[in-house]
Amino acid sequence: MSLFQITALLFALFMLYVVNIHRRKLHLSRVEQIAWYSLWIAFVVVSLFPNLLLGVTDLISFSRVFDLLIVAALMVITTLVVTNYFLQRENSRRLEQIIRQFALKEADAKQSQNK
Amino acid sequence: MTKNSIWVIIPAYNEAKKLPVVLQKLNKQGFQYIVVDDGSSDQTLAVAQKHSEHVLSHKINLGKGAALKTGCEYAFSKLNGEGVIFFDADDQHEATEIELFAAALEAHDVVFGVRSFDENMPLIRIMLNRLASVFLMLLFGSYIPDIPSGFKALSKTAYKKVAWNSSDYSVEMEIAARVAKNKLDFVTVPITTIYHELDRGMTFIDTLKVLLRALSWRISL
Repeated sequence: MSLFQITALLFALFMLYVVNIHRRKLHLSRVEQIAWYSLWIAFVVVSLFPNLLLGVTDLISFSRVFDLLIVAALMVITTLVVTNYFLQRENSRRLEQIIRQFALKEADAKQSQNK
Repeated sequence: MTKNSIWVIIPAYNEAKKLPVVLQKLNKQGFQYIVVDDGSSDQTLAVAQKHSEHVLSHKINLGKGAALKTGCEYAFSKLNGEGVIFFDADDQHEATEIELFAAALEAHDVVFGVRSFDENMPLIRIMLNRLASVFLMLLFGSYIPDIPSGFKALSKTAYKKVAWNSSDYSVEMEIAARVAKNKLDFVTVPITTIYHELDRGMTFIDTLKVLLRALSWRISL
């Protein structure tokens, strides 16, 4: 087992632990739990048996399993960044609307009191 | 448009020191105004409430763009205003010049206050200011001088067309971009500026961010 495999395995186990914490705190829906557990369990399996991916790398003409993993990781990260960007933007918009409505309601209430 | 249908909107964030001076000057001028406290951590809200009955308060700091929008919503939907004049809370504008904006609003949809680029304004700020105007002209085809100036006025009709999404300092650029894009009738009014703290303006990086956003507005507006 290479040093790279050991590092990958430890990282995957740590991420499984993180997913487990969020599951226990009820932060994740059933679908999210399945998705995250599947991802990191698959990562553990690939770390232990990288040769499993040889068929896939041959099929899509990657010279090394490592290259395939890098490309796949970049795709996952890009998807997460884009998703988070839109989510964050939407949340900011909602927060702004809520705070504005609150300010307007408060001013209305004060006006009514003064009358 | 009568004086009574025009509201001065003052977005204020941690301006407890300068705000009383500004509000006293406005009271002398007899213009009605709305102060929007944007989640200040100092006594800004208390100071504003002492001087005016029209005070709005954001529970957290959202930014100048959001504060101006809250003020506009209040002026147009709750107070039946016909026009608004934006006025900074840091005592950098002359309250006597509000009259010029109110008069210009009679005939135009949008009024931009333009500072004189004299020796009081640092050279780098003059250059960035001009760069923003040239950039806007290249993107939207209209030359609007002194875009970062916070002293401007909008009619109700103009507000409906330029209602911005920016919650931060890039609101000035977005308003200018939307005015140019919608080909609204605008006029500029020369204003005097009292410089208190020169380090409080936008930085070079802020300007770059705003210019990048302007590019995205060219595509999306």
